[in-house]
Amino acid sequence: MGFASRLGQRLVQHRAAARHFSNTLHAAQDLPKLSWLDLRGTGLSAAERLAIEELLLRHDPLERCWGIIGLHEPTQNKILDFALPPYDWNTQRKIATSQLVDEFGHHTGGVNQSCTIILGIGGKPEKLINIDAARDDGVLVLRRFSGGGTVVVDHSSMWTTFIGRNSILPHVKPFPREIMQWSVDAVFGSAFQSWGKEMEDSRSSNPKGKQTLVFKGKSCGLSGGVGESLILPSSADETQQMHSTDTPLFHLKENDYVLGERKIGGNAQAIVKDGWIHHTSFLYDFVDTNMEYLTLPDKRPDYRGNRSHNEFLVRLKEHYGERSNKNAFFEHVKKGVNESFEMEEVSLNDVLTIAEDQFGGLQEWWDTKCRTKVVKL
Amino acid sequence: PNSTITMASASIMLANATKRSMFQALRSSSRLSSAVPSPSFGSARFVTTYYTPAHEYCKVDGNVATVGITDFAQAALGDIVFVDLPEPDDEFEAKESFGSVESVKAASDVYAPVSGKVLEVNETLTDEPALVNTSAEDEAWFIKLEISDESELSGLMGADAYKEHCEKEAH
Repeated sequence: MGFASRLGQRLVQHRAAARHFSNTLHAAQDLPKLSWLDLRGTGLSAAERLAIEELLLRHDPLERCWGIIGLHEPTQNKILDFALPPYDWNTQRKIATSQLVDEFGHHTGGVNQSCTIILGIGGKPEKLINIDAARDDGVLVLRRFSGGGTVVVDHSSMWTTFIGRNSILPHVKPFPREIMQWSVDAVFGSAFQSWGKEMEDSRSSNPKGKQTLVFKGKSCGLSGGVGESLILPSSADETQQMHSTDTPLFHLKENDYVLGERKIGGNAQAIVKDGWIHHTSFLYDFVDTNMEYLTLPDKRPDYRGNRSHNEFLVRLKEHYGERSNKNAFFEHVKKGVNESFEMEEVSLNDVLTIAEDQFGGLQEWWDTKCRTKVVKL
Repeated sequence: PNSTITMASASIMLANATKRSMFQALRSSSRLSSAVPSPSFGSARFVTTYYTPAHEYCKVDGNVATVGITDFAQAALGDIVFVDLPEPDDEFEAKESFGSVESVKAASDVYAPVSGKVLEVNETLTDEPALVNTSAEDEAWFIKLEISDESELSGLMGADAYKEHCEKEAH
């Protein structure tokens, strides 16, 4: 059975539900409004992203619904000022004398600044993290304001966040399972369906892989009838790693987003009196060794069994990376949202103004009422 | 002796009749129909239970409110895995978040039904958060508050109104 057929069968019910919801609303009244905040290219860190999300959830004076997307620096803050690990003198001295710099230009000195570990509000570091390894490597650990498990985020983690208001989305009961189901019906079901269709169409038009145009021996990357089109074969390893005509179906398994039986991201929620937030970090790619900072949690979903992190998780890059990229994913999410909401794009400056008006700035918010905190191991 | 026993019995009967009358009077009173007391016949005072739309309860005994989340809330949230509580002497305004409960993947804020100062925190929930699922409105209370403004109780729901609220939410 082809990829599109399988995907169509499983997701048609989600699509129908979303379309019915959208059509019903459109027929009866205007689509609910949602403010869209695109943080790609802002250079904000994971901590700053969480601070902004919590601010908007609890203190948006207009009590709007929000959709927020972005890729984030694991550790390097742009706005906030707080001490980064390591916190002990010996390791700090090692950094001061080291000249090591990573591929993103971060001065590492033996400190791992390529990732951040983020605990849920109730997460116990001693049970969830290999403390000695994380401390010795100077890994930043945060505790977020939402529930759920522990995630490791890096430059390739794709963040999506939705803030719903009970008054604007009264049909979404403010409880965990209902919110998760809504996220599939209204957003991610159609996003992965359209992303999958993009992949299918790409394979149909170009079965073998990347294509380039050769003109007098030079590849100019342009088309237009001049020169000769040449399909460059991928290396065997690259093809084996990246090409798949058998992408498992996206769906909700227990409380996780999965492709088949493998988890593709961590998600969590916070519920307040007038609404909720549902945020996800999707795993486009990750470094295996960073996942080793996490222990096998005592409380884990039944479908995981005793699988290690690397056996349980899957990179989206493995299924979509050959012919697509992270930005395409975000565009498919935006397209899905646009079918369910009347969107208004809002800038980062607009959001920072809220922090300024309510608290005197994002730093003040972080230092006082923000529940997202640094955890010192 | 017979007359003494008779007098004692009559006293008991009269006391019970008085209590029943008071209870029936309160139930039929339209002014208090939204706040039906839950009398404790064995004690000298009534403990009154109120509810919020966000599914907190508060059992008021004198000027002390015992606060927690209702059975409806714990059932909707799922397995409770963590309860975040304040410290004694912390003060909260009515409708201000004083803590949260974590279930599944969600941290749900819990709100003070009335303004007051925290007198006591239920430390049992630190090690046994699942008690909220089995005994939400009894052993798994969250905090005891010294009420600072009793007039705020009039804005809360009684048992009947809360039941109706839950039925609406369930549909």
